[in-house]
Amino acid sequence: MSFTQLTVDVPLEQWHDAAVATRDDAAVACAFFDWLSAYDDSSEERPATLAVVAHAWSNAHKHHVRLRTHVSSVDGRLATLTDVWPGANWHERETFEMFGIVFDGHPNLVPLLLPDGFEGHPLRKDFILASRVAKAWPGAKEPGESDHDTGGSPGRRRMLPPGVPAPGEWGPE
Amino acid sequence: MGLELPRRQPTPVQIQGIGPASRIAPAPIRFVLNWGRRYSLWVFNFGLACCAIEFIATSMARHDFIRLGVIPFAPGPRQADLMVVSGTVTDKMAPAVKRLYEQMPEPKYVISFGSCSNCGGPYWDSYCVTKGVDQIIPVDVYVPGCPPRPEALLHGILRLQEKIGNESLGDRYHWAPQHHIRSVGSETLTAPLVAPPSGADVRVS
Repeated sequence: MSFTQLTVDVPLEQWHDAAVATRDDAAVACAFFDWLSAYDDSSEERPATLAVVAHAWSNAHKHHVRLRTHVSSVDGRLATLTDVWPGANWHERETFEMFGIVFDGHPNLVPLLLPDGFEGHPLRKDFILASRVAKAWPGAKEPGESDHDTGGSPGRRRMLPPGVPAPGEWGPE
Repeated sequence: MGLELPRRQPTPVQIQGIGPASRIAPAPIRFVLNWGRRYSLWVFNFGLACCAIEFIATSMARHDFIRLGVIPFAPGPRQADLMVVSGTVTDKMAPAVKRLYEQMPEPKYVISFGSCSNCGGPYWDSYCVTKGVDQIIPVDVYVPGCPPRPEALLHGILRLQEKIGNESLGDRYHWAPQHHIRSVGSETLTAPLVAPPSGADVRVS
């Protein structure tokens, strides 16, 4: 449980069945589909992993359920939920364009929000923010630190947020 | 001496009249023409995000900009001469901004309202934000703020009116050999429209 919501971790191959059960089972009865999205869950233990989360609400029982599964970020495929909840159509399109997860059986899996010709999947942690390479972050880098303190402790390891490469590592020479 | 015909030479000649020599037209005529332009601006509000709300607030009763002569909500770009870009310009919206700017007839002015349209604003490091609308269209006045107060937009409009008051159409349109301020070449007046995307690219969502 997190944030007083029940999160159910579902194995990848049971994703569609879990969604059907969430909607149809009388005790759960989540007929209202809220959202489906993903986040980059890559870590040292399981590299190149994306977590897909779907949130549904039951108006009959007034409770929420979150379904979560993990997909490989290299050619990850997942069953579509558009036949369970038609509202998942656009959510899966956005997840596809932002993370690169292909939803099998989706009627119209084309990008939804990004401009034509956009390359890459922006919300992955390995997507480079080119603007931050071109211009360094101008303010304090960590909470409580102001700009004129940065020269004070050179030994402290500088944290780099995901998507910002170390200087000199990426870009034109 | 008497009147001399305009000649294309580096040193200006004292010529009266409108047209290629209006750059050096006497002050009263230029004053009247500029006065007409600056106090009857029809604004095409390109409201994209939160700054659009502030623009709407400026057009409402408390900070009314109609009293400055700026008539809000022109029916379309073709009936407007001022475009206020307020809000974040994304890469997907940028061609539409350009196309609508091209549809406005000359003389036209642009106010960039808010930090997102000035320079990308708080979203400068995003993957899909155009860092400043001046990357696509020429801007006359920048109003900083996130969002700027309505009074800031009123100030920006006053600055634009001052700028128009000091303007010379001859300089603006390259009629004279020299130009001092932002000049719009004659090719702008005869440029073809930016083509809309072809039907093959249009996706019905």
